[in-house]
Amino acid sequence: MCEEDRMERSHTQKPLELILARNLLTSISTPAFLLDASAAVVFYNEAAAALLGRSFEEAGRMTADEWTAAFGPFDEGGEPMAVDSLAPTEAIRDGRPAHGRFRIRAARGAVAIEASAIPIVASAQGSSGAMILFWPLGPNGAGPEES
Amino acid sequence: MRVKVWGARGSVPSPGPQMNRYGGNTSCVQVTLASGEILILDAGTGIRTLGLDLTGRERIHILLTHLHLDHIQGLMFFPPCFRAESEIVIWGPASPEASLEDRIARYISAPLSPVEVRELPCSVAFRDTPASEWELGGARIRAEAVTHRGPTLGYRIEDVDTTLCYLPDHEPALGAPLAGLEPEWISGFDLAHGADLLIHDCQYADEEYHQHVGWGHSAMTDTLTFARRVAAERLMLFHHDPLHADAFLDEFHASARRAWESLGGDATSLEMGMEGAELEIGAGDPVHA
Repeated sequence: MCEEDRMERSHTQKPLELILARNLLTSISTPAFLLDASAAVVFYNEAAAALLGRSFEEAGRMTADEWTAAFGPFDEGGEPMAVDSLAPTEAIRDGRPAHGRFRIRAARGAVAIEASAIPIVASAQGSSGAMILFWPLGPNGAGPEES
Repeated sequence: MRVKVWGARGSVPSPGPQMNRYGGNTSCVQVTLASGEILILDAGTGIRTLGLDLTGRERIHILLTHLHLDHIQGLMFFPPCFRAESEIVIWGPASPEASLEDRIARYISAPLSPVEVRELPCSVAFRDTPASEWELGGARIRAEAVTHRGPTLGYRIEDVDTTLCYLPDHEPALGAPLAGLEPEWISGFDLAHGADLLIHDCQYADEEYHQHVGWGHSAMTDTLTFARRVAAERLMLFHHDPLHADAFLDEFHASARRAWESLGGDATSLEMGMEGAELEIGAGDPVHA
């Protein structure tokens, strides 16, 4: 077995529903993250990369602790928020959609965002992860940044 | 391991003099294991003639990839179904919507059929494929969901030191750049990796594919790229489009071999699914019936 072959084998195949979710997120212009069942970020799309200032290829897979350290989130007062209280965590833990507002550390500084987390639940195996779509808010926090 | 193709056509049976060499029957492949046991992959219309060959065999395992009509249509005409001594086990994908038996019974019931499942004289059992590997006839079987429309499985069959992968309906390139993507993100990668023979969907020529994106089938370049990524020893192009007559498929084959070589493959390791073809894999060269 050659080295390349060994490298091709040294992986764990993602569930089909995560593969298809990644394909979808790759194709849309809404910033979005894909989390696995452990709440690790396993992909984010180019629109998210533009906001964060770093491509997923550069960042790579991040555990929940790693992405909160890198990007936040923070509450209105600038205090770090507990991972357990975030919409993405709720979506994975409870298997239902969740929505939240918070601030993240983006390329241009702190940005207020609104995020919707959609759980990905396969029929027999339980939760496979979640898709997180988010929208930067305007300066007063009342609407999309563009408005 | 011996493999015989009883139907290599996709979508709908396509009889006619211009289809005689590749055949018009839909998906059905017979696998004879080292133990002598046989497995049947899919129950397209090819299974009818296969069934005529099976006299004397009582226990039969049929592994369905999914329940589209071109993969189950032959079930109702499968001769062992009408023999009291037959014990048939049908494996297929689970669905939260209804049991495998209930979903198949939608076809084998009025008004589409003159008989109901409960009226079949054979003993028939329906089983969802397990989430983990299981054993049939001494072979290790693995089934995993793959990219296609509706719940669809691919199969990996490992028997002694030979591996067959069967992915007749598969569109792994849908929204995914196969050439550069990490293996963990490629549908079907683990099933097909290092297979001695990969039987894979290749319904469309590249120039046809743009009209069929998302239909669940592959274009030639995507099939070849997938096969190279998974390092398959041999590749059989399968699930031929019902519009592709013999002359077209001859040219398709030649074109695929050129493209396969340009990707670093050996042209002799690429073949077309052809009704009646028999292959010995893991030990020897193809034998044609």
